Amino acid sequence: MRTDSTDDTAEPAGSGLRYDAVDISKRFSGVEVLKAVSVTFRPGEIHTLVGENGAGKSTLLKVMAGVYTPDGGSLSLGGVPQHGLTPREAQSRGVYLVPQEPRLMPDLSVAENLYVGTLPKGRLRVNVDWRAVYARADAVFAKVGLRVNPRLAAGRLSIAQQQLVECARALAHDCRVIFFDEPTSPLTAHDSQRLFELMNDLRGHDLALGFISHRLDEVEEVSDAITVLRDGRVVAEARRGELTRQELVGAMVGRSLAVTQRAAHTTTPGDVALDVQALSCPPEVNGVSLRVRAGEIVGLAGLVGSGRTEFAETVFGLRGPSAGRVLLGSRDITARSPRTCIDAGLVYLAEDRGRNGVFAEVDLSRNVTAATIGRLPRWLSTFLRPRQEQVAAQRAAERMDVRAASMELAIKALSGGNQQRALLARWVAAAPKVAIFDEPTRGVDVGAKEGIYEIIESLTRNGLATLVISSELEELVRLCDRVYAVYEGRVVGEVAGDDITLETLGQLAVGAS
Amino acid sequence: MTNIALPRRYTLPAWGLTLIVALVAELVYFSLTTRQFAGHGTGMLVLTEQFVPIGILALGAGMVILTGNIDLSAGATASLSAIVVGTELRHGVGMWGAIGIAVAAGVGFGLFNGLVVALLGIDSLLVTLATQFIATSLATSIGGESPPYGFSDMFQRIGTGLVGPIPSALLLFLVLAAITVILVSRTGFGRALTLIGYSRSAADYSGIRTRRTLVIAFTLSGLFSGIAGLVLAAYYNSARDDIGTTLLLPAITCVVLGGVDIFGGKGRIAEVVVAVFFLGFLSQGLLMSGRSSLTVTMITGILLIVALVVKLSLERQSGESLGGALRRLLSQRGFRRPARQR
Ligand SMILES: Nc1ncnc2c1ncn2[C@@H]1O[C@H](COP(=O)(O)OP(=O)(O)OP(=O)(O)O)[C@@H](O)[C@H]1O
Ligand SMILES: [Mg+2]
Repeated sequence: MRTDSTDDTAEPAGSGLRYDAVDISKRFSGVEVLKAVSVTFRPGEIHTLVGENGAGKSTLLKVMAGVYTPDGGSLSLGGVPQHGLTPREAQSRGVYLVPQEPRLMPDLSVAENLYVGTLPKGRLRVNVDWRAVYARADAVFAKVGLRVNPRLAAGRLSIAQQQLVECARALAHDCRVIFFDEPTSPLTAHDSQRLFELMNDLRGHDLALGFISHRLDEVEEVSDAITVLRDGRVVAEARRGELTRQELVGAMVGRSLAVTQRAAHTTTPGDVALDVQALSCPPEVNGVSLRVRAGEIVGLAGLVGSGRTEFAETVFGLRGPSAGRVLLGSRDITARSPRTCIDAGLVYLAEDRGRNGVFAEVDLSRNVTAATIGRLPRWLSTFLRPRQEQVAAQRAAERMDVRAASMELAIKALSGGNQQRALLARWVAAAPKVAIFDEPTRGVDVGAKEGIYEIIESLTRNGLATLVISSELEELVRLCDRVYAVYEGRVVGEVAGDDITLETLGQLAVGAS
Repeated sequence: MTNIALPRRYTLPAWGLTLIVALVAELVYFSLTTRQFAGHGTGMLVLTEQFVPIGILALGAGMVILTGNIDLSAGATASLSAIVVGTELRHGVGMWGAIGIAVAAGVGFGLFNGLVVALLGIDSLLVTLATQFIATSLATSIGGESPPYGFSDMFQRIGTGLVGPIPSALLLFLVLAAITVILVSRTGFGRALTLIGYSRSAADYSGIRTRRTLVIAFTLSGLFSGIAGLVLAAYYNSARDDIGTTLLLPAITCVVLGGVDIFGGKGRIAEVVVAVFFLGFLSQGLLMSGRSSLTVTMITGILLIVALVVKLSLERQSGESLGGALRRLLSQRGFRRPARQR
């Protein structure tokens, strides 16, 4: 039950397991998502899968973790063939998958989430030894660099914290093979670095590690081996340092991609579209004032926990402010409901996609129209027009370049990056005047990221006032005309134009002005 | 830019179709084996009077369950409504006045449930469990020693009258069912209802007026309970304080058999309506062919389980075997409910 599992087990160090996938194929509704994919995860090695959204990375790991049954091919763990693997069996054999979207139970405490199904028994054999649970939770959290009270309900955690709990869960079980599916997408560079230290440590203990990320810097930094997937096929394999960045990207997208530069924004901004005056919602938001003009992209930089998301939620009417005003144009929308905000022209793309964004079981079409369907005030008598709705949804989704076989597909069947684009489509379909995008490209691949930037830029050119919250400083540098730095719920600095560099933002974000 | 296929224009709901086939098979079977069942052609229709109140409750309960909540007070509210209408009639209040007061009592309870659930965020299971007791005790105290009986012919016609060959109760049910189906499947309100059921928090973030929608859903459930109470009082020509309470579980059974996910979101009211007829005719047919009500209950239980297994296999992800679907279901079971945000 400890991290350094190999020390605990009877087997000597160096007993790591190698996990082979041979010619794995997988179909969903007749569409072949994996086509004879072979990969080997070796003990003492970090092996990274890269590829565009929908390339099949998550599907491959889910097959190997027993979540999906492959349609063809074979799995062999430590030389032992695995047939009809279930998630439970996979776990009992030491294979653990940290899923792309955290799936914690919001009503249970963080510690309980850590040990679901395996709570340590107390002396009476039927009671749970809570002291041991909390003590162990503290120990594992320290390893992943997570500082939360293990007694807190998991529903209160931010997405980054949830992701770290999911990682900690892997450590709480006795694992020989751990797959991390995009663990860093909600994390800041600092938190990611901690996670990498942990992964290095695990590698030192001879675990086999799988990793997925769209951030190529970190891919190059941590990987011992890289496998590139494209359209469900392995198109390249390399050891550390064998591929240049350009070769890597070329293999992923199948063509060469221009390296992105900060675009020169020439249009002059118009009137103030969003005017926030000394908005407070303690303890997270403490008197934030800022303005966004039409035709302007403004960024919010800051650490995880700096209160940026809470600020956006307060503006959007999801939290009740204790003081301050929010003006949309000349209209006062302070403390109005999200519906009123949307109808007045303000939209908010939520940070936590799995919890606050998608309706997982609902089809793509109704996911895209969810924010516009209740638009009319006569909403009780509003009759839906299914065909028109579908066509509108399809148009919006195609505009955001969502890749999906059909509008009827439940959105959970889309790859993570495509879900993100579908949510962008939802909000763009609401024809906003002001948009707050909270981590707009989380989990989106390199090629598509640029696509989303271009969409945001073209919307802004047409008069949208855009506020971007991002933990990726590169993203803010690439996109923004102006950036506010937020620290502990306050605006602590502002930079504009050519002063927006990685260095200045990095300093401002930690509260140093 | 990629092309995303639009759905085929019409897709037949597999489960609804299965239910209809089962219903027809059942009607044919009982008509052939039990002489009174078909009666003189219209006998079958008259049988529906027996289960229309269950159906009306199922419509309201169905809407509430679609939001991921539950209304345990529906049956007790129907009892209260029956007692109130009976008492008012005995006190010489005019028929429409009495009906108005009884329905208002139902609406009031529904509204109260909705406000408490939506505004205070208390679990609907607890709230409606409590209001169920309140409604029951109110009914008992109003009914007193001698519950009301013996109403005017005019009033009784709601429960036993005929419009042409069709019982007026059945007609009432069909009208209410049609309204509910349209409300749920064709209006913004209905969409809000199901989206809340799928994910309350995603609904909040999408600007859906979740509180208002919940209040309306519970209020409609109260309204339907009130109407069901009227029909009960009219049919039995008397009102007891437990007259509706025993109908709650059969009503929820219809909702579940009709394919509504008990955790909310998934489901069609039209299929619930078919399930109402299927279960209703089943128990009437069995009773007529001389089975005891004990047998009827047991057969209903067995059928429900069989039906749910069949439904699961119809819904299994394409390309996945039934065994695989079951295994996945079992291994995910524990994660199911909490994964939904409330
Ligand atoms: N349950 C499912 N039903 C139908 N199609 C599915 C299902 N799961 C995945 N797919 C499809 O399989 C393809 C691969 O998806 P997968 O999630 O493996 O992509 P990915 O490489 O992880 O992408 P991302 O980087 O966006 O997370 C996608 O086209 C997706 O739509
Ligand atoms: Mg993925």
